[in-house]
Amino acid sequence: MEAQSQSPGLDAKYYFLIRRLHSLCGLIPVGVFLCFHLVANSAILWPGQPGAEFQKAIDRLHGALGPMLVPVEIVGIFIPLFFHAILGVKIWLSSSPNASSYTHGPNIRFTLQRITGVFAFVFILYHVWHMHWFGKPLGAGHFELHTKAGEPAAAVTTATAIQAAWWIAPIYFLGVVASVFHLANGIWTMLITWGITIRPASQRVSGYVCAVFGVVLALVGIGALSGFRTFNVDATASSGHGVTAATHAP
Amino acid sequence: MSKSFKVRILRQADPNSGSHWETFNVDYEDGMNMTTVFQRIAADPVTTEKQPTVPVAFDSCCLEEVCGACTMVINGRVRQACSALVDALLEESPDAIEVRPMTKFPVVRDLVVDRHAMFESLKCVKAWVHVDGYYDLGAGPRLAPQVQEEAYPLSRCMTCGCCVEACPQFSDKTGFIGPAAISQAILFNLHPTGRVERDDRLGVLTGPGGIADCGNSQNCVKVCPKEIPLTDSIAKAGRDTTLYKLRQWFGR
Ligand code: SF4
Ligand code: SF4
Ligand code: FES
Repeated sequence: MEAQSQSPGLDAKYYFLIRRLHSLCGLIPVGVFLCFHLVANSAILWPGQPGAEFQKAIDRLHGALGPMLVPVEIVGIFIPLFFHAILGVKIWLSSSPNASSYTHGPNIRFTLQRITGVFAFVFILYHVWHMHWFGKPLGAGHFELHTKAGEPAAAVTTATAIQAAWWIAPIYFLGVVASVFHLANGIWTMLITWGITIRPASQRVSGYVCAVFGVVLALVGIGALSGFRTFNVDATASSGHGVTAATHAP
Repeated sequence: MSKSFKVRILRQADPNSGSHWETFNVDYEDGMNMTTVFQRIAADPVTTEKQPTVPVAFDSCCLEEVCGACTMVINGRVRQACSALVDALLEESPDAIEVRPMTKFPVVRDLVVDRHAMFESLKCVKAWVHVDGYYDLGAGPRLAPQVQEEAYPLSRCMTCGCCVEACPQFSDKTGFIGPAAISQAILFNLHPTGRVERDDRLGVLTGPGGIADCGNSQNCVKVCPKEIPLTDSIAKAGRDTTLYKLRQWFGR
């Protein structure tokens, strides 16, 4: 019906391409970035000098990209993320979820996929804002790679931002869980969308694989979060490794 | 005195009027199905409030779950009235059996809906095999038994509308052609003569309202009374459209 009557406008002509790009964007680059981001953050849990491994991981990443960091962040993460989110919301608004009438696994996940998608997007916006600009008004630190004096500050500033108020860690917890669920379930549906898993048996197997992947990645993210939550900010400051004062500097 | 049970029915006099609920008491009989229930109500159309009313309009034809005409939403789940047994329905919902027309199609009257959209979707994907010609083309090509086995389950579709009723992506807002039409496109692409139009069908499936509108909630396969492997067809359509687009862009 619609497929026939609609005049072949641009969005009709590239309908399939746009929707497949939407599917792809969720995995590459956004999903891949999420994995690297959570794994890099979990370096906070490594033994030894507190926060040293985390600092190294971030330094390595920033060092590799150099001046290309911001362009890569914009082109590689923010544009695909916004495209995925805006089109995703549009798709959600045109659908009529009915998980209360038809209560079987895939349909409940269908509804959850939409809820976690929106929650994760709002959380990511909050997260970027919180780490970059939000700390100061709250009297807490905000993320800095190094102090003015060139001392490593990544761990201590992140921990300060996370510990700035009691409700920040719970919000991060929900944000991590929602993002990881959305990615893991997204991979499961993507395998169907692209016609890789066709039979119910193969979809069941890919379901288990995605579930294990999701649980492991969520544990990595929650581990990283608890690492920052319990990081001793004052001890690091007095030992001279990272200077909190610098984060209050104008 | 024999035992009786309650049936709540969402009624609507014509396409333009509003709907309202009416409740009826029906005497229980062994092995009753919902079609019988409507017939008993028609014999004595009086609501539980003792209000006289008119018989409930509903479609039916085969009375054995083959034509799909009597499809409606019973106890919140879409199914055929003729194969919906009162015993099972009362187990699901002991207080009263709840009946309403399908929600994805315009209501004609009471439980009768206009499923024209399903037919339009089938036309969209050319769900047929071209055999017209001016002269006898001779016997058609043979189908390998493996292909027959794959095609037969898909051919059982009766266009009842259960799958699109349960599909969260199907509505007049999306213009999605729905799982039944996608599955029929796959069925006719399997056929050696139907294959001639394979790329036409895949072209439609890559357009607006096509395969990309499916959100993989898998409700369709869950509710299909003919147990058609709809999600297999959907994933196959996903694979075939991907390959079709690659062929289109890069040549075969
Ligand atoms: S696929 Fe199944 S549920 Fe859908 S119209 Fe055909 S028979 Fe009915
Ligand atoms: S799997 Fe696709 S076609 Fe089937 S009910 Fe879900 S969204 Fe609709
Ligand atoms: S009357 Fe044909 S399916 Fe019920």
